[in-house]
Amino acid sequence: MLSLLIKKELKEIIGSSKFVYSFAVSALLILITFYVGAKNYQINKSQYDAAVAENIRSMSGVTDWRMINHKIFLPPLPLASLVSGISNDVGRNIGMQGRGELIAKDSKYNEEPIFAVFRFLDLNFLFQIILSLFAILFCYNAVNGEKERGTLRLVFSNAIPRDTFILGKVLGSTIALILPLLVPMLIGFLLLLVLGVPMSFEDWMKLFLIIVTGFLLFSVFINLSVFVSIITKNSATSFLLLLVTWIFFVLVIPKTSVLIAGRAVNVPLIDELNTKKNQFSMQLNREHFNSLSGFKPANKDNFMQEFQQFMEKNNQAREEKTKSFNEKLNRERINRQEVQHAVALNLARISPSASFSLAASSFAGTSLNLVSNYREQADNYQKQFAKFQQEKTGMTSGGGGMMFVIRTDGDKKPPEINPAELPKFEFKPASFSASLGSGLIDIGLLFVFNIIFFAAAYLRFLKFDLR
Amino acid sequence: MNTILNEKKEFPMLEAVNLTKKYEDGLLALDDVNFKVHQGEIYAMLGGNGAGKTTTINIFLNLIEPTSGETKINGIVTHQQPLEAKKHVSFVSENVMLYPEFTALQNLDFFTRLGGKTNLTKDDYRQVLLRVGLQEDAHSKKLKGFSKGMRQKCGIAIAILKNSPTILLDEPTSGLDPKAGLEFMTLLDELRDEGKSILMSTHDIFRAKEIANTIGIMNNGKLVMQRSKAELENADLEKLYVEYMAGYMEEVA
Amino acid sequence: MFRLLVEKELKNIIQSPKFLATFLTCSFLILLSIGIGINEYFNMMEQYNTAKNLAKTEMAQARSWMALSAKAFREPDPMQIFSAGVNYDIGRYSIVHERQDSKLQNSVYSDDPIFAVFRYMDFTFIVTVVFSLFAILFTYNTVNGERENGTMRLVFSNAIPRSTFISAKFVGSWLGLVIPLLVPILVGLLLLVVFKVPLSAAHWIKIIMLISTSVLYLTFFIAFGILISAVTKYSSVSFMILLVSWITLVFIIPRIGVMTASQFISVPTVAELESQKDSFSKARWEKHYGEIEKVWRARNAEMNGMSEADRQSYREENEYKWFEEDDKVRNEVQKEITEYSSKLSDDVRNRKATLENLALNISRISPASSFQLAAMNLSTSDINLKNRYEKEIQNFRQTFSTFTQKKQKESGGQAGMFRISIDSQSGVKISSGRDESSLNLREVPKFTQPSHTISQAVVPTIIDIGLMMFFTLFSFGGAFFSFNKYDLR
Ligand SMILES: Nc1ncnc2c1ncn2[C@@H]1O[C@H](COP(=O)(O)OP(=O)(O)OP(=O)(O)O)[C@@H](O)[C@H]1O
Ligand SMILES: [Mg+2]
Repeated sequence: MLSLLIKKELKEIIGSSKFVYSFAVSALLILITFYVGAKNYQINKSQYDAAVAENIRSMSGVTDWRMINHKIFLPPLPLASLVSGISNDVGRNIGMQGRGELIAKDSKYNEEPIFAVFRFLDLNFLFQIILSLFAILFCYNAVNGEKERGTLRLVFSNAIPRDTFILGKVLGSTIALILPLLVPMLIGFLLLLVLGVPMSFEDWMKLFLIIVTGFLLFSVFINLSVFVSIITKNSATSFLLLLVTWIFFVLVIPKTSVLIAGRAVNVPLIDELNTKKNQFSMQLNREHFNSLSGFKPANKDNFMQEFQQFMEKNNQAREEKTKSFNEKLNRERINRQEVQHAVALNLARISPSASFSLAASSFAGTSLNLVSNYREQADNYQKQFAKFQQEKTGMTSGGGGMMFVIRTDGDKKPPEINPAELPKFEFKPASFSASLGSGLIDIGLLFVFNIIFFAAAYLRFLKFDLR
Repeated sequence: MNTILNEKKEFPMLEAVNLTKKYEDGLLALDDVNFKVHQGEIYAMLGGNGAGKTTTINIFLNLIEPTSGETKINGIVTHQQPLEAKKHVSFVSENVMLYPEFTALQNLDFFTRLGGKTNLTKDDYRQVLLRVGLQEDAHSKKLKGFSKGMRQKCGIAIAILKNSPTILLDEPTSGLDPKAGLEFMTLLDELRDEGKSILMSTHDIFRAKEIANTIGIMNNGKLVMQRSKAELENADLEKLYVEYMAGYMEEVA
Repeated sequence: MFRLLVEKELKNIIQSPKFLATFLTCSFLILLSIGIGINEYFNMMEQYNTAKNLAKTEMAQARSWMALSAKAFREPDPMQIFSAGVNYDIGRYSIVHERQDSKLQNSVYSDDPIFAVFRYMDFTFIVTVVFSLFAILFTYNTVNGERENGTMRLVFSNAIPRSTFISAKFVGSWLGLVIPLLVPILVGLLLLVVFKVPLSAAHWIKIIMLISTSVLYLTFFIAFGILISAVTKYSSVSFMILLVSWITLVFIIPRIGVMTASQFISVPTVAELESQKDSFSKARWEKHYGEIEKVWRARNAEMNGMSEADRQSYREENEYKWFEEDDKVRNEVQKEITEYSSKLSDDVRNRKATLENLALNISRISPASSFQLAAMNLSTSDINLKNRYEKEIQNFRQTFSTFTQKKQKESGGQAGMFRISIDSQSGVKISSGRDESSLNLREVPKFTQPSHTISQAVVPTIIDIGLMMFFTLFSFGGAFFSFNKYDLR
């Protein structure tokens, strides 16, 4: 009986001309998304490579490791092109120095606002906007439509239990809608392979999780639509109600919750922080220079080296003070930010669309964690870099401004440095288990949404007026 | 043709002349149909499903164009001067559909104004609705809750209110309860007495015989029989109908 | 007759149950967006003022004119209430210093990425997405719906010209949708007054234009909905077609436009550009210091054979002259570097402009992009906002550095840097300019916001408004034409 009902649902959906249209559109969009994602990745990659090469090239001819203008860049990640998250909003370029606070600058959108205007086509957009609409479109009249057409009476003139019917409805619709969409998804995967996007095994796992989460969202909308089609009399009303709900889920709830959190939790202005930091470092600088005059070389022949050591010691002390000062300030701001984020995201999670979006960006490594992740790795690299400079020159560079060493007594030019010796910055995206950990709550929520809407539909249908 | 007509006006109010309609898919829905309806007459079109009755009425209303031949309302060729012609006609379809979000009164108001009657009041509408048998408490309800018969009554009311010299009725009694059906026949009688020319398609042989001045039977797009009331006085119309429909009799019009 | 049909259309829309729901939703969204916009504007304004004051205190701490750097801030414009555009994406300020290329940094979204997570919801966004959706929802069955429910036959059993019917459909739907939506918009404008958003006459003109453009955009979708319902037989088909078109026009084409363009035109990134500038400036400075080295060696050579005391006095006597000489050369070097880097920047900017033009022209196939672009232009939050500011800041940098150089000379200190000289005889010596007192900042030039006249805001919208009009007329003409042949049964 159930299988008969499911089969009927399958046939009815797949045989409809509506399905042909919307499947064609969705399939096309899925393919475009993957294609564009791959292409974008390649463009970003070549830009990134060019920047790295130029950075190395700019070091040629330099004779002192303290004089290089080293920069590190956030590399494009294959998954970030498929779920862009905030990857286009975070600063990507960091001027690297042996000491001092690192600042990431130049977000993609700041650099090329044209992209900010219309945004990107990605899997997040696809599932949140297109496919959820698609689900609504097919299920908004699942039950009341049958009533309108009069087929419901005919069906229940047979010995069909109500729960079998509703189960058949939901299962049938879910299968009929999801299975066909898997085909373009798989082709999309293939496109990534063909276009040579370097996806690691972990990347594939993450992508797979993103798709699974996407379909969880999809089935939330199916269940919701079936539920609404039960509680409303006619299909026009249910469609409208679903559309309004959709607007609230996709647009209103996430955005307003962020704004509410922005009002509710005050985060100190970044300019305030910067001013405090600047004031502090200026004060230290003054002390530093005053102390310089206290340098008295013990050994006249080797005074240059001695001076360097003196400077280095001084710098290190200064660096430590600045660091702890800055860290305290940063910590405060980050703590406030974390509270703000928690409020915003938890409010937003009222909407399953937001849950999906958060989960997907967690898996793609483009969630808010990207900022701290990048900062952490850059800080670690800084240590490595400082050690390197230390080894090469006995000193680290930093404190802003360029450094030139002019020898007014020597006459032979020292040998050029070899940029290839420089330690490489290698950005590692969050591991699979880490991103799964941060996305788990949202997956759980999506499950809960599914269950709630299905249960609601089920219970309401038991009391449905079949006439 | 041997119909004796009761001449009141020089020309017939409704007239089909060599009316032929071939649909795009090649189906010959009307094949050289000729008939006339004079002032104060009722013409009943009989014929099985798909015989071409609705097609004929559609051509009168210029909803479709004839392939050849023409229809005239009040002497005006409908596909040449549709707007002029339609000033003289009102129409009730076999399944009256009105705006579901409007009440009966709102629908009446809209359609009678559309028909050019702008000086009618709500009381007029109510009166006519009562005359066609729609219960008072339904007058201010939205049409979307109406049964088929109730909608039919509204459609008839609109036609009455428009007060045009000719009326086209496509199975107007379908969906009416027996009482309402009977009342409708009386209504038609009254309208004829007012001098209206009525073309009606119907499946109700007995009522047709009772009320029509002339009866035409259509089969596969051809008018296979056409007789006046007098000619049918003693004939068994039901038998004739079945015979004509079976196709072994044909009377050239 | 026409009036009657229009009235009926209006009634039909307003009495339908979906009307109340959509009207309430739209009103809510409009008011919400304007409310949020106002709140956000004041918030940004407060931040702007705080940041400006902080920058002032920071400046006051500078000890030499050459070390003095300013910050040029972007002032929030109340028009951002209607269209945030790129406001949150591009940097809020730029550091202004002779030695530093100015560029906007610290965008709101990069400072607080949480706001970027779900992006912004402004009036323009609501109009683009929600208005168009609702226009479709009300027009998808205007023509074929009447055919389906059989009223069309009854209507056309009367003496109604088709042209009257279809025009009335259009006018009726237009009135039925536009007038109700104007109510919350007007209430929103009232909010602007109540909350005392500082709006000039120019702002009001732009707001009125923006609202008219929104109405035009809505009109397009009404005409388009009627067109599709007049070329299809079944409302279910027209609905599907319209929904797909809506997705395509509102979401796909704008995005595809930008992405297609970026496949054709590649623009070097800031990172690459800056490395190029760096390596040029490094090489240039290196050369310069090589020369300086020689000069100093020559100067030292002059002192050869002098006694320690003579050396000292000779040095003191000449030091200022030497610094002057060095300074002059240094300024020239700096000028060369600035010129080179602005040439590079110009090249990149030109390429970017080409990319942007291509992208925008592709996306203009869709009236939704045209509308957004027009709205951004009217709200001065368009893509060129960044260029306008960077240009203005560049000019300011010129004024500012001329000023500080002049001051520096007057005060007689030496060029911002400090020199650490280490000598085998005398040990370390630090010279760091002459004055250590704080600077008199009263005369420091102030950054003025780039001027953007109404006509500069309006002219670029002409093409977009023109396109929207064209599409609207085209749709209406199409509807008119195809309804003339419509099968009325
Ligand atoms: N649009 C069309 N295209 C092709 N054939 C059509 C079309 N409309 C009607 N027909 C055909 O024309 C013939 C006459 O149809 P018509 O609707 O006039 O019949 P009718 O006499 O009104 O029947 P009924 O009693 O069932 O209402 C039928 O065979 C029908 O299939
Ligand atoms: Mg018929």
